[in-house]
Amino acid sequence: MKFNTVWDRWQYNAKNTPEKEAIVHWLAGEEPVRWKFEDLLKTANSFSLQLKKNGIEAGQVCAIIIRHNINFYPLYMGIVGAGAIPAVLAYPNPRLHPDKFRDGIKGMSQRSGLDWIFTEESLEPIIRPLLDQHTSIKGLHFPLQWDLSFSDTGLQEELDTIRSNKKPEDPFLLQHSSGTTGLQKPVLLSNKAILQHVDNYGESINFSPEDKVISWLPLYHDMGLIAAYHVPLAYGITSVQIDPFEWVLAPVLLLEAMSKEKGTLSWLPNFAYNMLADKVPDDELEGFRLDTWRLAINCSEPVRHESHMRFLKRFSNYGFRQSALSACYAMAETTYGVTQTTPGELPAVILADRQKLAEGTVEIVDDEAKARACVSSGKVIKGCKVKIVDEKRVEVPTGKVGEVAIWSVSMFDGYRNYPEKTAEVLEDGWFYSGDFGFIHNDECFVIGRKKDIIIVAGKNIYPEDIEDTVSKVTGVIPGRVVAFGSDDKELGTEVVSVIAETNAAEDTEKRKLKMAILEAGINNDQNISKIYLVPSRWLIKSSAGKPSRKANKERVLQNNDFLME
Amino acid sequence: MISEKFKAAILKELKLSDFEIQDSTLASQVPGWDSLNHINVIVAIEKEFGVRFKSIEVLKCKNIGDLQKLVNTKLNQ
Repeated sequence: MKFNTVWDRWQYNAKNTPEKEAIVHWLAGEEPVRWKFEDLLKTANSFSLQLKKNGIEAGQVCAIIIRHNINFYPLYMGIVGAGAIPAVLAYPNPRLHPDKFRDGIKGMSQRSGLDWIFTEESLEPIIRPLLDQHTSIKGLHFPLQWDLSFSDTGLQEELDTIRSNKKPEDPFLLQHSSGTTGLQKPVLLSNKAILQHVDNYGESINFSPEDKVISWLPLYHDMGLIAAYHVPLAYGITSVQIDPFEWVLAPVLLLEAMSKEKGTLSWLPNFAYNMLADKVPDDELEGFRLDTWRLAINCSEPVRHESHMRFLKRFSNYGFRQSALSACYAMAETTYGVTQTTPGELPAVILADRQKLAEGTVEIVDDEAKARACVSSGKVIKGCKVKIVDEKRVEVPTGKVGEVAIWSVSMFDGYRNYPEKTAEVLEDGWFYSGDFGFIHNDECFVIGRKKDIIIVAGKNIYPEDIEDTVSKVTGVIPGRVVAFGSDDKELGTEVVSVIAETNAAEDTEKRKLKMAILEAGINNDQNISKIYLVPSRWLIKSSAGKPSRKANKERVLQNNDFLME
Repeated sequence: MISEKFKAAILKELKLSDFEIQDSTLASQVPGWDSLNHINVIVAIEKEFGVRFKSIEVLKCKNIGDLQKLVNTKLNQ
């Protein structure tokens, strides 16, 4: 079947499999609520009608800030059905100061031109002040209070016209990268990009109507929104959605849902393998079976072989199979997937000489002491091409390390209202990812990043945001801070470390400063794990005159004297 | 009411020299108590008091005061 728009494909599913479960809304300790394809689309249409009634026009951007809610899904679809563009934003973490939360939305609004905010009444006091701050936001709506029995023939005709006039190239959704200092990048995707991706990525994982996705991933993240929500919804298969806030407190929920619902697929960032393997007690797993789980796809942060093995060892007794371990390489700019390991095959692991790798050459060795274990992210999926390039964006031979560049039929339409940023990364149809990697045996291995982004539990954190926060703490010398990520093998992810210059010399003074830095981090929803307090003029500057992250990280790690325990 | 023993177990796990914890304090307001560390803190409390929590019991706690009450209930059982 050929579809012009994602809405058309949803409509097809509602007609073709009306009684099939589309979404299972998981609630800890309660009976899940189940949406069938036909009911879901009908409710989505009711939301579309309310959107029209409330004056929302086709093409306008509608941000959704709603916590795990049964009506989130039809609302999202209803925005699409009204011809508007949905943008899911993160629900505020209680630790985040309201001013910082507003600053984040203000930044997004200035960049991407958010038109409306759809939220819960409880967030009104936090969000409403934004309307007085000269943003593009026209108003707030509380769609969970809307009367969904509303109908109007005239408005329905208008909706039908909007839907039939939509073209594959028309914008479909907007996603925002993380960041609080104006670094957010709004990724605009078309109907065509999503539809082609559903088919191409679906093929790479052998998607079938019998599959069932189990996900705890937040829907503001591309892995949650595209892989675990859009792909199954368009494909016509069931997805089980768990509240991310509940999952982080009770990781067992994923295994419970997988076992009870007989799930087959899930996408997980690497840290989740460690968390599930190490932190779920045996007594909570009683009676669970994981035999149906055919692919656990590791994505969003560097894939660690030891995390896979730890997970396999822990859950093989419950029926989890080695052949279910899988990995992919993905990004919002290409809709989602670029490479994917072959279903049923363990991701390849090669031992590459660490020194040679740092020099840009892949040399396979046997000596584990000298080697870095690199895990494959798989083969390039249909509709994508990958090349490895040098600093001048010239392709390098196989076996050489360079920046990963991607061409995709599901390429984004650029960062919205940000042509200069788009021009930086998009050239002649190729997207320059900023990731370092190499190709070996036709498989893609991603080993690092050109920029200093820190990935904590699958979430991208810009060191600039952390440095900005810490620089403002009284006692820290302004501008004399560097933040960097360091591997935590136990957690299976990176953690944030900070080096800050200070004139504080006494122990008590330094302890107070450490607490002040930690609390400043908390107010910005940034968890700083390690703090190194160094004297004035300790930090090494780069040629640009700024403290160098790489050089200072290497320097501070050689000497633990500055670490505040 | 947060007991000294309870507070000490949390601060020790999070390597904090001091931090005021009241009944209404949220886990997310305590430095270092994030999603990655949450289970470590819970395990530390379990060890300190010789009790076992079910994930769902911890999930229902709205603040640290609720967690203290949960410990008290377990100890009284």
